[in-house]
Amino acid sequence: MNIKEIWKAANPKGHLLTAISFLIPIVCGAGFIIAIGMALGGTAQNALVPGNFDLWQALATMGGKALGLLPVVIACGISGSIAGKPGIAPGFVVGLAANSISAGFIGGMIGGYLSGYIALAIIKNVKVPSWARGLMPTLIVPFFASISSGLIMIYIIGTPIGIFTDGLTSFLRSMSTSSNLIVGAIIGALCIVDFGGPINKTCFAFVLTLQAQGVNEPITALQLVNTATPIGFGFAYFVGKLLRKNIYNDKEVETLKSAVPMGIVNIVEGSIPIVMNDIIRGIAAAAIGGAAGGAVTMVYGADATVPFGGVLMLPTMSHPMAGIMALLVNIFVTGVVYAVIKKNVSCEVIEDDEEEEDINLDDIKIN
Amino acid sequence: MNIVGISACTVGIAHTYIAQEKIEAAAKKAGDNVKIETQGTIGIENALTDEDIAQADIVILAVDVKISGEERFAGKKVIKVSTQTAIKSPNKLIEKLHELGRQ
Repeated sequence: MNIKEIWKAANPKGHLLTAISFLIPIVCGAGFIIAIGMALGGTAQNALVPGNFDLWQALATMGGKALGLLPVVIACGISGSIAGKPGIAPGFVVGLAANSISAGFIGGMIGGYLSGYIALAIIKNVKVPSWARGLMPTLIVPFFASISSGLIMIYIIGTPIGIFTDGLTSFLRSMSTSSNLIVGAIIGALCIVDFGGPINKTCFAFVLTLQAQGVNEPITALQLVNTATPIGFGFAYFVGKLLRKNIYNDKEVETLKSAVPMGIVNIVEGSIPIVMNDIIRGIAAAAIGGAAGGAVTMVYGADATVPFGGVLMLPTMSHPMAGIMALLVNIFVTGVVYAVIKKNVSCEVIEDDEEEEDINLDDIKIN
Repeated sequence: MNIVGISACTVGIAHTYIAQEKIEAAAKKAGDNVKIETQGTIGIENALTDEDIAQADIVILAVDVKISGEERFAGKKVIKVSTQTAIKSPNKLIEKLHELGRQ
């Protein structure tokens, strides 16, 4: 097997996406909780001592604790995706090891691959006599996979990963306005080109890492773009009317009625059906608007301290006006661009067969 | 042809269901019997029964993430693609399934 085949068989991206699919509901749930808590004056506490906290502090702490364990979640997810159920326990241990040695989210990811492949190698290669079969899932796999990956994390790779993430963090903190503008535009455009698909989620994993290091602007840029885009498509409806154009059919207008409220709370996926009907123009409008919004976020320093929440993120920023501006710019640009480039359509729903792309044989796996 | 399959995407709220719709529509247009199980964030919906699977000529998995219950298809011809492929080119995908089903 050549390297490409080995890489394909190992499927590292698939394991990361599986882990992210476990991560997202935690980010959403805990993100809303901490956003509400912090918006109403709570701060995350180290420990909750009975009688010494109010509800908002309880919410902020609850959400903060959950988000602090994201490296563990990603490690468990990756490890479990690689080795199945026996991968989860070593993933948990190595994720906590990564947290303890300050290797953060990147540490959790690498640790998850490590423990997953070690667990898989043990399952595949260690043959035990039948009397010891019960020892495999109870002692051999969880103990040896956990101790080896945990020790590798703590003594070998954890510290360099920590130094690397610190370096990345200080580099991003020291960036000038013009590079901020470029980074913001890139994040904004990248995170929206596939509307919550794999590129968006990979981008999300990266900016979430940065937030764990205390750099809040990139994730704010990403989530504000996710928030603004569906609203932008809604806004395009009115801009279209102003231009005496009808840009949505009746079914799409119905879709927008749920896509816009979903957008307000940070869920971009509601607008996918609309974009699917006109992929090129939809993505162009979203990417241009996203780039504009992302750039505003980075340049003016909208810095939500929570990783999710849509408009609920605004009160957690040190300059909420910057976030509001980024949202408005993004909504405005996406809306105007889409309304201008979109062709006039009739209100009736037409099912047409567009040319489909040829399927690349590499994309198909047959067993 | 009898086609069964599973769709599952990363977030599990949108692409999963669009892929299901596209595959089902394309397969029905080609005159096939089709049933696609969705494994979204909410859990398994439109679950395949043992009977569905036993009668299937081919299995299509449009998945970006690890799915549960893949072992149910042991011994069947299983085709795996990403949800993107299923969404972008459903008719060509069904064509391909017919080609592979005949082999």
